[in-house]
Amino acid sequence: MKPIKKTVFSVISAVGLILLTAITNAATPPNVLVVGQIAEPKSLDPHAVTAVNDFRILMNVYDGLVQYKSGTLQVQPALAESWKISDDGLTYTFKLRSGIKFHDGSDLDAEAVKFNFDRMLDESHPYHNTGPFPLAFFFSAVQQVDVIDPQTVQFTLDAPFAPFLSNLAYPTGLIVSPEAVKKYGKDFGRHPVGSGPFKFAEWESNSHVIVERNDEYWGGAPALEAVVFRPITDANTRVAEMLSGGIDMMVEVPPDNLKEMAQDSSFQVHEQAGPHLWFLILNAKEGPFKDKRVRQAVNYAINKEAIVENILQGTAIVADGPTPPAFAWAHNDDLTPYPYSPEKAKALIKEAGFENAELTFYVTEGGSGMLDPVAMGTSIQADLAKVGLNVKIETYEWNTFLGKVNPGLEGKADMAEMAWMTNDPDTLPFLALRTAAWPDKGGFNSGYYSNPEVDDLLEKARTSTDQNERAELYKKMQTIVYDDAPWAFIANWKQNAVTSSTVKNFKLEPSFLLLLKGVSK
Amino acid sequence: MPGASRVIHMSQRSHSIWRYTGERLIAAVPVIFGLTVIVFFIMALIPGDPATAILGSYATPDNVASLNAQLGLDKPLWQQYLTWLTNLMQGDFGRSYSLNRPVIDEVLERFSATLVLAGTALIICAIMGLLAGILSAVYQYGVTDKGLTLMVLIGISTPAFWLGLLLILFFGVELRWLPVSGMYEIYGGGDLPDLLRHLVLPAATLALVATGVIARLTRGSMLEVLRQDYIRTARAKGVPERNVVLKHAFKAALVSVIPVIGIQAGFVIGGAVYVETVFQWPGIGRMLVTAIATRDILLVQGGVLVVAASYVLFNLLADVLQNLIDPRISS
Amino acid sequence: MTVERKGERKRSHRVSFFALLLRNRLAIFGLMVLSIIVVLCLLAPLLPVTDPDKTDLAIRLQKPFTENHWLGTDHLGRDIWSRILWGTRVSLVVGISASLFAAIIGSLIGILAGYFGGRADNLMMRGIDMLMAFPYILLALAIVAVLGPGLMNALYAIAIVNIPFFARNVRGIAVTLKRREFIDAAQLSGKNNLQILFTEVLPNVLPVIVITLSTTIGWMILETAGLSFLGLGAQPPQADLGSMLGEGRKLIITAPHVSTIPGIMIFLIVMSINLLGDGIRDTLDPRLKAGALLRPASRTQTELPDQESIAGNDQGILNVNSLKTEFHTGSRIFKAVNSVDFQLYTGECLGVVGESGSGKSVTALSLLGLVASPPGKIVSGSVVFEDSDLLRISDRQLRTLRGGRISYIFQDPLVTLHPLYSVGEQLAEAILCHRFMSHHSAWKEAINLLDMVRIPNAPVRAKNYPFQLSGGMRQRVSIAMALANDPDILIADEPTTALDVTVQAEVLRLLRELIRGKDMSLIFITHDFGVIGQLCDRVVVMYAGKVVEQGSVVDVLTAPHHPYTRKLIECVPQLGNPDKKLVEIPGLPPAMDNLPDGCAFAPRCDLVQDQCRGDEIVLETLESGRKVRCRRVMEVVAR
Repeated sequence: MKPIKKTVFSVISAVGLILLTAITNAATPPNVLVVGQIAEPKSLDPHAVTAVNDFRILMNVYDGLVQYKSGTLQVQPALAESWKISDDGLTYTFKLRSGIKFHDGSDLDAEAVKFNFDRMLDESHPYHNTGPFPLAFFFSAVQQVDVIDPQTVQFTLDAPFAPFLSNLAYPTGLIVSPEAVKKYGKDFGRHPVGSGPFKFAEWESNSHVIVERNDEYWGGAPALEAVVFRPITDANTRVAEMLSGGIDMMVEVPPDNLKEMAQDSSFQVHEQAGPHLWFLILNAKEGPFKDKRVRQAVNYAINKEAIVENILQGTAIVADGPTPPAFAWAHNDDLTPYPYSPEKAKALIKEAGFENAELTFYVTEGGSGMLDPVAMGTSIQADLAKVGLNVKIETYEWNTFLGKVNPGLEGKADMAEMAWMTNDPDTLPFLALRTAAWPDKGGFNSGYYSNPEVDDLLEKARTSTDQNERAELYKKMQTIVYDDAPWAFIANWKQNAVTSSTVKNFKLEPSFLLLLKGVSK
Repeated sequence: MPGASRVIHMSQRSHSIWRYTGERLIAAVPVIFGLTVIVFFIMALIPGDPATAILGSYATPDNVASLNAQLGLDKPLWQQYLTWLTNLMQGDFGRSYSLNRPVIDEVLERFSATLVLAGTALIICAIMGLLAGILSAVYQYGVTDKGLTLMVLIGISTPAFWLGLLLILFFGVELRWLPVSGMYEIYGGGDLPDLLRHLVLPAATLALVATGVIARLTRGSMLEVLRQDYIRTARAKGVPERNVVLKHAFKAALVSVIPVIGIQAGFVIGGAVYVETVFQWPGIGRMLVTAIATRDILLVQGGVLVVAASYVLFNLLADVLQNLIDPRISS
Repeated sequence: MTVERKGERKRSHRVSFFALLLRNRLAIFGLMVLSIIVVLCLLAPLLPVTDPDKTDLAIRLQKPFTENHWLGTDHLGRDIWSRILWGTRVSLVVGISASLFAAIIGSLIGILAGYFGGRADNLMMRGIDMLMAFPYILLALAIVAVLGPGLMNALYAIAIVNIPFFARNVRGIAVTLKRREFIDAAQLSGKNNLQILFTEVLPNVLPVIVITLSTTIGWMILETAGLSFLGLGAQPPQADLGSMLGEGRKLIITAPHVSTIPGIMIFLIVMSINLLGDGIRDTLDPRLKAGALLRPASRTQTELPDQESIAGNDQGILNVNSLKTEFHTGSRIFKAVNSVDFQLYTGECLGVVGESGSGKSVTALSLLGLVASPPGKIVSGSVVFEDSDLLRISDRQLRTLRGGRISYIFQDPLVTLHPLYSVGEQLAEAILCHRFMSHHSAWKEAINLLDMVRIPNAPVRAKNYPFQLSGGMRQRVSIAMALANDPDILIADEPTTALDVTVQAEVLRLLRELIRGKDMSLIFITHDFGVIGQLCDRVVVMYAGKVVEQGSVVDVLTAPHHPYTRKLIECVPQLGNPDKKLVEIPGLPPAMDNLPDGCAFAPRCDLVQDQCRGDEIVLETLESGRKVRCRRVMEVVAR
């Protein structure tokens, strides 16, 4: 049988040869930053997307009229040099920087700005069909956009809307090239043209998006020659790529890996608290949670420190109310998180007469801002068991989960996990705590919380243009909501990123957006 | 029986293979279309809809309804299916909601990636499986047989998704011999050696189970064939033992192994989902999983259509091969 | 024959025996591992383990072998040992139930489709095709997406995905069963379809179901783990192996033990089930029971005593001396050829005759080491051909002789010709094995050979496959193949048995003509004295592995000296004498692993006396040159 053995040897040596030639040292090219993303971008049209993952690319390719000041959530000039708000809060007039051009050479002027908003908001606009534009409702208050002169554009609102400027700084407010939209139509999302520090170079599906330095950038050309965004959906693989040097930067590092990388000198760990809240929606319409005492009891019963310190490995802090501390000016610093006190919880439950109640708990497998939802849910389940609440978990994949939670929990569940990342202190409470935001009225108040006082405070805060006044209103709202406990407040996430030690001048922003203009390598 | 009437000439034989192939292809059409109907309605039964998936956290009932209307998803289901089918007849697979690009582009791109991966895995598992099976049979109960049997057993008993991660950690992170994920380097890659480097780990992981199945079957089939009288005849003729095994026995054993390789092809393509996820291979399995999660019906339809067609083709290929080897079947 | 070679043979013999034992051991090992796992899981509620769902975040991700947690803790500080026990319980129950579910539904579809056939079959099998054409994980994914997550739904999904295997396998058997006589019989006896399905079909497909079940169950457990791994199976906090692996996967870089332990457990379960499944398959598969899946060596094993003298008569071209061939199966030894001696002289035709099981074919096959082994084994004797002992020459020398100077014609060429090569190809190969020439000339030569055996239109026929030829023609091809290299000795093993009487006569005539005029010796093996009479010069009569009579054909036919020979001759129908009473030999040949002492024919002999039983009876050479193994020769002759 010698010949057979010979065949085997030749096959084995052939495989060996392939392996030998295969030995490689993963290294990223100099002056090019490779970023490990969590998913393939859906589109590079800023008006068509909703995911933070896509925003990370877009913020480097496009500019908005305004932008968040580095390290804060305050707006500052960007494409607009200055702006004026009328006293009634209904007209915003922006003065544009002169001489700015899109990457395709066309002018970024008032007409272009008008084109952008009309495309999103006006159903009769010839390019409205290049949508859909899911987040257009951010600007639903805009009644019309007028070109005053080539450098001046004016927005007229139908009602005062305090978060307007903040929304303009959000990626949905980024300005795209009208010429490119006209040229590519529905395919604009694959051929993006903006005015930002990097210009789009290449998008190979499921492999990478490359953006290159814009030497003509009005704010000065970036240091990096190019940035490569690589989608790596599997967290382990992303970490493995980072460890093997296949990428220079990764975001959303699993907490346990983050701890390990922090101890490794070849990596730099970045953390930044942001406007994020992880909470449990409690069904206040029926069952045990109709009783405020039981809702409070849940807040006492959950060991939030343990979740934050152990499961999340310190990548989050314990939440103290509905408004994340990242909104520094609007956050009520007098509030302290509900302490962990099973005894108090037991007493409250006993008082309310809901000992050994059976509860259904919707848990998701993962989703935007959901951190480690299954582990957190399981831990919460165990905590509630200790105070005599029997919780049954049902897990759903993210889209199914949203399909179940957003229409309201009535008749289905008693509690559900949820997380929000917002750009303005108004957004979350306005969309999810008002009586007028119950699911049947088109809002996200899936737990049917209702307090006329809170409704009132939120309405007022929204229409006020005075930030101090707004701050007072929000703080009052927080105190009431804290006590009413429509949610169990669990955690505020500190977003994180790891870069290889060669990456310089990188900083995370509270807005969760990734700005790479100043970064060098 | 008079011999003359049973003469079948070569030309007739190959003719009958073509006819057989044609018949099989025609028979596959209703199967594939039935499948698309089922898939379409299953997708409709899954809670959640594309609008929810697109809107994410902003999916209020209002927003969802208006977006669904924009996407044409507010029409009755059968109407949506008919629209899809009519467009398909004109070669239009529709446009993916979640990817903002034509379904056909995405599907073909993804499918070719899977084909590269699954094809390599299939070649590996066919060669290794057949080789291991032959060696096992020839050295039955010897050290070689025992060693191979053990390896085969490990192969078919190990969860592939788990093994893939271990391989990444060892060869990618620890030794840094092979790239961790993806299909090509972004810079300086794109050539064949680059592709091969990226292929080694995922293809090996994917091939493992199928190799085990084929090896076992080949071993059994070889042993059965080696018992046959015509093998004794070959030996009585003085045929060298190597030819007895590699020519006489192997050809006969192949007849029963080939259809299994065809079925394994389906499994390898199906099983690629785990491997594609772990190794970030931009294949169609992962695309389908994402498409199901984002309720991207048209993308799912396009993907299923291509995968099902490839399954049918692989099996047909196996059948034709089997026919070519064994002239008794087609007559 | 060197001593080393002998040692090697001995060892290889022991290895095969040991291997057989080990094979059983593997299944037993699988059973043991599985039993330990199952018992541990069943005892889980009674074992002193902590609550599998008890979280303790302060001690999360403890490494194995820490105090109180010998397998460590997971990301929520739960005891992995306890979760493994409870999780395995869940996984086993789900995997097994899903398998049973798939087996029942799939088999039902298979039986119905196979039994009723026609449109129902077509419809059901198209449905099965659809199931198979859909990538299985995605199908499971879609099913779970529709039904919602949860172990039960994962179970349904896995079961549905696996239905096709059972349906296909069972249908295949059911289709063949349908054509069998006992189904017809049942139909004629007035049983309705349902009764037939349950009483006739089901019992016959049951082994296939069990075999499929035993081979898929491990696979199902893997798939269930896969679904749970994707988060579609068990709901928290319940543990099952897949979800443990899935949860641990996130920590594979920082805390590999969390996923490694359930990974190993899955491996152990699936491996032990596979081992056991193989064992079950082996015991249920009739071919395996008969040892039909043991690989025969290229040459019959020999286990000859050291330095055996090549004694005896060696005047013939081929001299067989005290040849003993045995079959070893399990602990039983069948003495198929029990010390046979005979000579073949140049140019003669020697008939070897006997009932089936008399050892005549085994004798013929032993000459060139063609007895399948295992289980066959040549344990003594010598076969001397031109001064070399064929039992002791090298493999290489033996191969050159095979088909070269000594060639065979076998019974039933449908199974002895390779079904997948054209007859011309097979002939050419026979030529090329012994002669150095181009394939093209070999093909031409093959056509000449076909012409020689009078196959009409040889150039076309050469391209035919054996199944395309009639029985007589196939046998001519066999004869052509045997004569391809002008052998000195031709061994024909019942070459005409499988043929019709008329074809038989033709083939015999052909054979006789072909060897006439050539300097070729022929050993012709048959059970039919009639054929011997037509063709042979001398005859050897065999019974129970021994030569009982030997002499010239004319002498033996006119005056058989052994009662067995006599009976055999009486069996031959005579042409033109239809009134002749055909005699059957009463009783059956003795079991070869339990031969009686003394004369093996004694139990069936009508002349038997006490002296026939007891000690060994020798083959005596009479004055006439006749050899007989009988103590009652005088009485036989006298009759």
